[in-house]
Amino acid sequence: MSFEDFKLLYIVLCLFLGLIILSPTLALVVRLPSGERFSELWVLGSGGLAEDYPFTIVDGEMYNVSLGVGNHMGGSEYYLVYVKVRNQTEALPDAFNGTPSVLEPDFEYRFFLRDNAVWERKTLFSFKGISFEGNLCRVSSFVVDGHVLDVDKLAVWDEENRGFYLQLFFELWRYDSTTSAFQYHNRFVGLWLNFTMPI
Amino acid sequence: MLKHFLFCFFVLVLLLFNSLSVCFAADPSIVDEALSKAENNLASAYLAVSDAENAGANVSGLLFRLERAGEFLASARNAYRMGDFDGAYSYALNCSSILDGVVSEASVLKVDAERSFEERLFFTAGLSSFGLSLLFVLGLFGWKFLKLKYVKRVLEMKPEVVHKE
Repeated sequence: MSFEDFKLLYIVLCLFLGLIILSPTLALVVRLPSGERFSELWVLGSGGLAEDYPFTIVDGEMYNVSLGVGNHMGGSEYYLVYVKVRNQTEALPDAFNGTPSVLEPDFEYRFFLRDNAVWERKTLFSFKGISFEGNLCRVSSFVVDGHVLDVDKLAVWDEENRGFYLQLFFELWRYDSTTSAFQYHNRFVGLWLNFTMPI
Repeated sequence: MLKHFLFCFFVLVLLLFNSLSVCFAADPSIVDEALSKAENNLASAYLAVSDAENAGANVSGLLFRLERAGEFLASARNAYRMGDFDGAYSYALNCSSILDGVVSEASVLKVDAERSFEERLFFTAGLSSFGLSLLFVLGLFGWKFLKLKYVKRVLEMKPEVVHKE
């Protein structure tokens, strides 16, 4: 090994040692960029699996789904989930523009989640006052977690799918600290429900 | 006997006040006001707790209170949608009362966390500076020593002149 090589090796070794000595201070000061920040929203069937979702609805009968939210935003978050019911002509949230459905919420959940934590809860629901008139089906009440709400929804006979359908869907909103207001988080999940009278 | 009578009287007065407040609450404008106040209180508390958490404070206890308050506010909103104004008012009041003192507690935790961080940073930076100074001094001495050793080894390798007789 030449003298110059030896000198270079010594300098590199000293620099490496210097970095090791500095690393505890650097770890406190330097913030490394975190990974992708996002929230999850899901709805599962009664068994907590992606199966056994309620589909055919009978007046007054109770159904349940498991609703869940996961926080991967890098800190504690304040979430709001709106529960809404719509028929086939009413608008869904616009996933492309990130705008929520214009429908008024029928029910809501509010909760706080730490980073990487999950919120899950059983949502019990039923529909009451289901009546049929020609090619129309009217649903008067939506009962969710024991709260009776007047929804008065009309479903028109769907010739293609041979039934009356309404959609139960959940929108995820989060509190934005910069605007000091809730903002739609561009996530929603829904279930199509068949209100056709069994023959 | 007197104690029992006083206790019953106290409970009766409390019940009377409670029913009175519920009677006044039936006015939707008062309920609206209570709801928006609860909403603002919860948002302010969340922002304060979030700040404290970002400063490195342990906010588990405060988050639990926020969670409870959030449940009350959701119940208040849901009751309002059903037209149950008394229920909505009562839930909104519960939400606000749970949040009493959360902002100030979060501020104290934030200040403590910031002070603790500064102390830790000062201590670590001090240790690092000492370590770097030591490395610099030892590095120089080490270099001198190694250089001498290297030169000595090279000189030992130098071919010697053989004298011819």
